[in-house]
Amino acid sequence: MWLVRPAIPADLASILEIAGTQGARLSSTLPKQKETLASKIQHSEDSFAGKTNPEEPPRFLFVLENTVTGEVLGTAGIDARAGNGQPFYNYRRDALIHASHELGVSRRVEVLYPSHGLTDQSLLCSFAIKPELRTTDAFELLSRARLLFIAEHRERFNARVVVEIQGVQEDDGSVPFWDSLGRHFFNMDFQTADQYSGTLSKTFIAELMPPNPIYVTLLSPSAQKALGQPHKLTVSNLELLQREGFHAGCYLDIFDAGPVLEARTDNLRTLVTSDRKELHGSHDDAGETCLIAAGEGNAFRCTLTPVAETLEDTVKVPVRTWQVLNKSAGDTVRIAPL
Amino acid sequence: MLVIRPLQENDLDDLYDMALNAGKGLTTLPADRELLERKISLARETFNQRCAPEAGIYLFALEDLTTGKAVGISGIQARVGLDEVFYNYRLSLTVNASKELGVHVRTPTLQLSNDMTDTSEICSLLLSDAYKGGGNGLMLSRCRFMYLDEFRKHFSEKVFAEMRGVSDRNGQSPLWDALGAKFFDMEFSEADKLSGLGNKAFIAELMPKYPIYVPMLPDPARAVIGRVHENTVPALKMLQAEGFNFNGLVDIFDGGPVVEAFVHNIRTIRDSINRYVLVTSKPMSLDAPPAERAMVSNRSFRDFRVTTLPAKCIGPETVRMPPELAEALQVQSGDSVRLAPLKEGGFWPIHSHREGNSFDEKSQNRIKKYRSHSSWD
Repeated sequence: MWLVRPAIPADLASILEIAGTQGARLSSTLPKQKETLASKIQHSEDSFAGKTNPEEPPRFLFVLENTVTGEVLGTAGIDARAGNGQPFYNYRRDALIHASHELGVSRRVEVLYPSHGLTDQSLLCSFAIKPELRTTDAFELLSRARLLFIAEHRERFNARVVVEIQGVQEDDGSVPFWDSLGRHFFNMDFQTADQYSGTLSKTFIAELMPPNPIYVTLLSPSAQKALGQPHKLTVSNLELLQREGFHAGCYLDIFDAGPVLEARTDNLRTLVTSDRKELHGSHDDAGETCLIAAGEGNAFRCTLTPVAETLEDTVKVPVRTWQVLNKSAGDTVRIAPL
Repeated sequence: MLVIRPLQENDLDDLYDMALNAGKGLTTLPADRELLERKISLARETFNQRCAPEAGIYLFALEDLTTGKAVGISGIQARVGLDEVFYNYRLSLTVNASKELGVHVRTPTLQLSNDMTDTSEICSLLLSDAYKGGGNGLMLSRCRFMYLDEFRKHFSEKVFAEMRGVSDRNGQSPLWDALGAKFFDMEFSEADKLSGLGNKAFIAELMPKYPIYVPMLPDPARAVIGRVHENTVPALKMLQAEGFNFNGLVDIFDGGPVVEAFVHNIRTIRDSINRYVLVTSKPMSLDAPPAERAMVSNRSFRDFRVTTLPAKCIGPETVRMPPELAEALQVQSGDSVRLAPLKEGGFWPIHSHREGNSFDEKSQNRIKKYRSHSSWD
């Protein structure tokens, strides 16, 4: 069975391996450096335990585990406050009308404004999964387990949730938007800049970006084309998030111009359609496959299970699901349809 | 004989012909009769003091007295940016540095500015091809400094000139194509023409207001920022010899540089001296190469006249001139005229520093006198 649970220090090596297989991505929140990752896991454990500190807002890191082999197959995270206490940088794509009554002309000019507008909203991040699981239900489990965690711990999160989707990257690793903009201010290609992003925060790098608005028309044609476009590998993730109720607004990633998806937390499909039920057993493996989650903080577990029967207040699932969740009959769980 | 005088109503035809022959790129003097007529009447109002001296535009014609035709024009706008908004880009620099990242990158930017507002501009220089050479261009340009010098209170302490930027034979400007055209769907020549017709501020209002990061512009556009058109190189050299320097501002259309100087530092002004006219009927040769000639002005506000004569005519207190030259300048014996060398580094019998020395002596005497009276000495 597949299980999503909070990351623990013992997962360090496996997570490093997964992070290593990810391509260069400046906005990634999954560090590739051992020490940085270790402290991130530690901070995540503290966050799950509710040990909060106003200077370091909670950041949660989950892993996907194969319960049979104990192997870690993917990661997913939530930053309770985007920017983690620092400004959270994006470009806001907006328009100005340059008009002259005297000359009788009017022209729409697209501008990218540096923005901190999404700072402190909750951020879904650090999503990585082994390629062979991309097309399985594990993909949806790993992504949506976070939303069940939010549903169970709603008070820990902002009224709005955002997700940064990776932007366009060519097969040779070059990023058109970076090459047309960021590169001029760093004198380095995307990969090199990316190597710094693991050790330094995104905010740190973002603060070196030009502080003034950028005219879209002055970007290279390929950079203009890449604005708000997702990386081809993220399409399935994008579709999943769109089904959840996320939609692309006017915000873009400042490094690769990938879209930022936004949603009202309480309107997310998983939050609307999931229900708390009392756990009961079934001897039957038949039934509709659902997401099931239970547990407070570090005890949080989420998995997929066949549901034999759902009544108003109870749900009947196989006993092995109880074991994975560390729960027993009569405990409260939250279920959501796949 | 060639003489500088204020522009007059009957110069319209000559002016129009000159503008027609000048072709593209001369923003301040488009071949448009109505506009030229308006300019002439503005200049007339200025010289006749029917407008505030600060609001005036002082346009001078170079007249060939033998034909009675205007063959050149030059001007001073007392203040720019009074009615319309005067725009430039300031070529600025931002440095992006991080020790942790090992980054230290300099990024030039173009920032829209109105910094030249309220400053006097020397402008509208145009000389017929047939009259180029022999120092005529120098006189046409430098006579303006003599005027500035005489009537300093009407002008700002600093004067500037916008130099024509780079464009190719077809009138394409690399900077316009990379920047202006992206915001204003128009060919450079067309925009340039519009701005000559007095619409520059309107176009500027359609241009980007936020700083432009120069590295984001294509190479050909970056290469011409602050560079002058090849035809403008002599004019730039002439102004540099007068003490004008690039002030970091460029034209918002073609990237041509703005050069400026403080009036009191302009070489022509520093070298200027006053003499009394001595009209002599003794035959004298007026021929001399440009390097040995002096500009001579009649110092008149309303009927300012300048011509040249050999510098050897200048004596310790007087300047000798034949009657026809005195007539051209509208002066008589005993009138005060002002003289300046036509060409830098040329023959100039009386250096201004000598005058400066005498001033120093005077002031030193005054100081001595003061000290002898003071009790603490």
